[in-house]
Amino acid sequence: METMQAFDDGFATALAPEIVLVIGMFTLMIAPNLGDAKFRIPLTQIRIPWFFGGKRGALESDPRMPGLFASVFFVLAFLLAALSYVNGMNVTMIQSEGGHDLLLVNEFSRIFELIFYGALALASIASINRIPATSRNDRSALGLYNNRRQVDFYILLMTTGLGMSIVALAQDLFLLFIGLELASFSTYVLVSFMKETKEGTEAGMKYFIVGSVASGVGLYGLSLLYLWSGSLQFTELTIAFAENGMEPLPLIALGMLLVGFGFKVSAAPFHFAAPDAYAGATSPVAGVLATASKAMGVIGLLRILLVVASPEATDGAAVWLVALAVLSVVTMTWGNLAALGSTNPKRMLAYSSVAHAGYMLAAITAIGALNWEPEHLNVSNDAALAVVTALIFHLVVLVCFKLGAFLVLSILESEKGGHTLASLGGLAKREPFLAATMFIFMMSLAGVPPLSGFVSKLLVIMGIVKVALVDVTVSGNLTFSDVHWVWYLALLMVINSAISVFYYLRVGLVMFFHEPEAGREGPLPQGKSVRLAIFACLLTTLYFGVGAGQLIALCESAANALVGAW
Amino acid sequence: MIDWISIPLVGLPLVSSLVLLAFVANADGSTRERLGSTIRMVSLVISLAMLALTTMMFFAQSQSLMYEALGLDKALDWTGLGFGSFNFEFRYMWIEALGIHWSVGVDALSFPMVWLTTFLLPVTIVATWNEKYAATYFPLILMMGGALIGVFVALDLFMFYVFWELTLIPMFFLILKWGGKDRKYASQKFFIYTFTASVVMLLGLVTLYFLQPDQALSYSGSWTGRTFDIPTLTAHAQQGNADGAWFLGESMQKILFVMLMLGFLVKLPSVPFHTWLPDAHVQAPTGGSMLLAGVMLKMGAYGMFRLPLAFFPHAAEHFQFWLLALGMISLVWGAIVCLGQTNLKKMVAYSSVSHMGVILIGIATMQPLGWAAALFMMFAHGIISPMLFAVCGAFKHHYHSMEIGAMRGMAQHSPWLATSMMFAWMASLGLPLLAGFVAELMMFLALWHFLAANDWSVLWMVGPALVLALTAAYYLWSMQRTIFEGGKETQPPATLHGEPVPDIADSEKFAMIIMAVFTILFGVMPWIALDMMNGWTVGFFETLLIPILGGA
Repeated sequence: METMQAFDDGFATALAPEIVLVIGMFTLMIAPNLGDAKFRIPLTQIRIPWFFGGKRGALESDPRMPGLFASVFFVLAFLLAALSYVNGMNVTMIQSEGGHDLLLVNEFSRIFELIFYGALALASIASINRIPATSRNDRSALGLYNNRRQVDFYILLMTTGLGMSIVALAQDLFLLFIGLELASFSTYVLVSFMKETKEGTEAGMKYFIVGSVASGVGLYGLSLLYLWSGSLQFTELTIAFAENGMEPLPLIALGMLLVGFGFKVSAAPFHFAAPDAYAGATSPVAGVLATASKAMGVIGLLRILLVVASPEATDGAAVWLVALAVLSVVTMTWGNLAALGSTNPKRMLAYSSVAHAGYMLAAITAIGALNWEPEHLNVSNDAALAVVTALIFHLVVLVCFKLGAFLVLSILESEKGGHTLASLGGLAKREPFLAATMFIFMMSLAGVPPLSGFVSKLLVIMGIVKVALVDVTVSGNLTFSDVHWVWYLALLMVINSAISVFYYLRVGLVMFFHEPEAGREGPLPQGKSVRLAIFACLLTTLYFGVGAGQLIALCESAANALVGAW
Repeated sequence: MIDWISIPLVGLPLVSSLVLLAFVANADGSTRERLGSTIRMVSLVISLAMLALTTMMFFAQSQSLMYEALGLDKALDWTGLGFGSFNFEFRYMWIEALGIHWSVGVDALSFPMVWLTTFLLPVTIVATWNEKYAATYFPLILMMGGALIGVFVALDLFMFYVFWELTLIPMFFLILKWGGKDRKYASQKFFIYTFTASVVMLLGLVTLYFLQPDQALSYSGSWTGRTFDIPTLTAHAQQGNADGAWFLGESMQKILFVMLMLGFLVKLPSVPFHTWLPDAHVQAPTGGSMLLAGVMLKMGAYGMFRLPLAFFPHAAEHFQFWLLALGMISLVWGAIVCLGQTNLKKMVAYSSVSHMGVILIGIATMQPLGWAAALFMMFAHGIISPMLFAVCGAFKHHYHSMEIGAMRGMAQHSPWLATSMMFAWMASLGLPLLAGFVAELMMFLALWHFLAANDWSVLWMVGPALVLALTAAYYLWSMQRTIFEGGKETQPPATLHGEPVPDIADSEKFAMIIMAVFTILFGVMPWIALDMMNGWTVGFFETLLIPILGGA
């Protein structure tokens, strides 16, 4: 591992994707303001070109410019993050001057950067042309306004990306929290970005209030932890937990942090704002919330529960284990049952996202069962590795099909549809390819082979079962009661995924069976860029299902980088 | 040996169906109409090529011309292949980390099913030659065929499960788009029922997967250290079961057996999990019903032979009573419900439930004869039931009604349909010299033998005996009401609105004749298929069951 301080040699290569995003932000801020303004040197007639202000050129005032720029920067950041895999991972720790660990670039943070930038790139590509834009020849205030407003949208997407990658990189709880808040505040604004609609404002408001309460509780937990150990470094917290983690103060603090991250992954009972937020936000933003933002919350949970509180903290730490197990069961069941009854496809996807959060919590419970119970002290953590791999795999492929489903809805949104199931009616007649794609996304969400959703569900089940059987020695006198109780979490998970088929199939039924709503018989709105993004989602959904091997290897190396700390 | 399975039998139908569907995906309505007949022809040619290939595989056991054409040095021996070895066995790495392979092969258990699928594909295509929306219908039929063959040839649990679930998708769309009035309800019910059962099965499979020793077996994953390879697992289970020991321990074996059987019993279907079947059949289009009844139900029985019975013979013996009881209830209940049906297709659907009971009883006897009976029943029912549904489809198509008695005096008005119906009905009720009779007779003998050998009550015979009478009753009664009663003095049904009564189209006639010919062929010369089934069963008992369970 290479250790360096900020702005040392190699700093730029290590954090290249983030730096690209920062450059992108400034570019977006400056570019639309460039014009042909000239500065006259006083008392002379010499005019020096001074590009800020004045009449804008064709490119700067093009309403599609911000979207294109942002997409290019996101794709560039994505490629730079991916490039580090090509040349071999250069694990880099960035420290403060005092020698505290700040950011760690390794396989784990890189794969999450890929998730974040991938999701944001797709959302940004899909959003080009979404905000009603006027032609570039329109020099009216409206044209100007649209262009500038779009700039705001994409800058917020970029700050979201920056915040998320800080969360993935952070080696210090405080830094992690700052990243989390940077991303959160950007998403609050993004959710209510369509301020003309009542739903948008309402959704943003709800999301902000609930989210800031959750953040506040989390921050309070953070401060309690600091009060207790005097440090927020992961490494030092881990040591402190290993020594006397059973004191009430850190346990309460952990519980409070769970609230903060539980909101991000929309686990019950902190999920109430999610359906409203998803329904009110534009679909690409909702897609980002359901994929990238969720992955960010999972990082928080993994860091807190596994890296900090898990190893060596044995006797009695299982208090959290049972709570987490109950939480996971409640979350998956609640999510599925609520999704059954929702007729708004975006709310349905939000609840399905809650259900998926339940599956992930079940997986985290399984890791806990391996690490927190005294009898497993000397067991190798292969099984925990399998579960973390499954979790990461799940988060990666979620970007493919869940975001894809939201993007399909976003096309309908352009014709003021997408808020009712009925508006999907007759999609198969209007655009068969899109309907087939949406059906594939739904089947992938339900976990039907050979799609990537199936592989991710299989991996999670396999991880849980592996943990459940970890202290079972295979012999002729094996009894079923030897199996650890987390096996039943896997059982509940498969039963829940069977329930979920109902509402995923319903979308297919409406698309293929129902007639289009009145006024929606014609072809769907144009939009090459959003279809391109959907097509990318489709290809990855299929590819990671049929050829999952490589991605599993990547996720395994990421999991190793996280769990290797044990 | 050349891999004749992966590409021509599985890949070709799946890929070509996707290509054909992609071809028409964004075409407008009139273009699709024009493309329809071409696509139908392409589908027929592909399915005929597959049939030719599997038929060559069959004749490769005697004809040098055939096995040389297949690139083999010597004749294939289906009968003597026995249990545990496979023809055309090929294995390619798929997902290395988890030990997943694309692994295919056929033995005498799967070969009849593969042949049956390839036989039914062209027959279905011909029988439903004039189905609407041809441009998407025929590719879906092809996709269905590819997925079904995939289930039968898979020798890897992951691959097996993938194809097992993949069969749901084309069937879902076949029911949804071409089905009857309540198709929405039926297709959802069909999907959810079978999906629920199979995810429970999946959990059982994953548990079994991790109950193997780490890195000890061949074809293990580089990361998990376990294997999904079915022959390896079977051999491992066989060792674990030896000397009276229970592989994985008694309670674990029982629970895994139940979890796996649940998936298969729902698919079969057996009472009490059968309720999806009548709905699905009544609403499904003719082609969908033909493949559903002909092959898809057999997946359940095939899966039982391939997995739980081979892995968990002790548990199978333990649950013998329950299997027999379920089979008996399905047999009797299906027949009784048939008596009360006024809908022709629903009656045929329940008769399928009844016949699947025969298969389950055959399995439950744990006798070589009973198993051979079950295997032959799978095969015979796979030829007869598509004919039943083809008749129902023609009935519906021509008279716009499914009610028994809507059309009377059919012998007078449409003799071809009447003849086909009479033949199919007779075949299904087990007339001697037709294929169904052989299977039923064998099942009776096996059941007698089993009851006598184990001192079980003779009262168990009451069920099958009763069903013989009931089956004859409901078939004859429906035939009498439809074909013979009335005649000249009756009017054609009101649903025809005074149009002249039509008879079935030439393509339908042709399909009926083909199915009838094969029903007679396998009734008169059952050994064509029975020999290899018998060989497989005897091999299974000699190598696996008798050393483990004892007895003869």
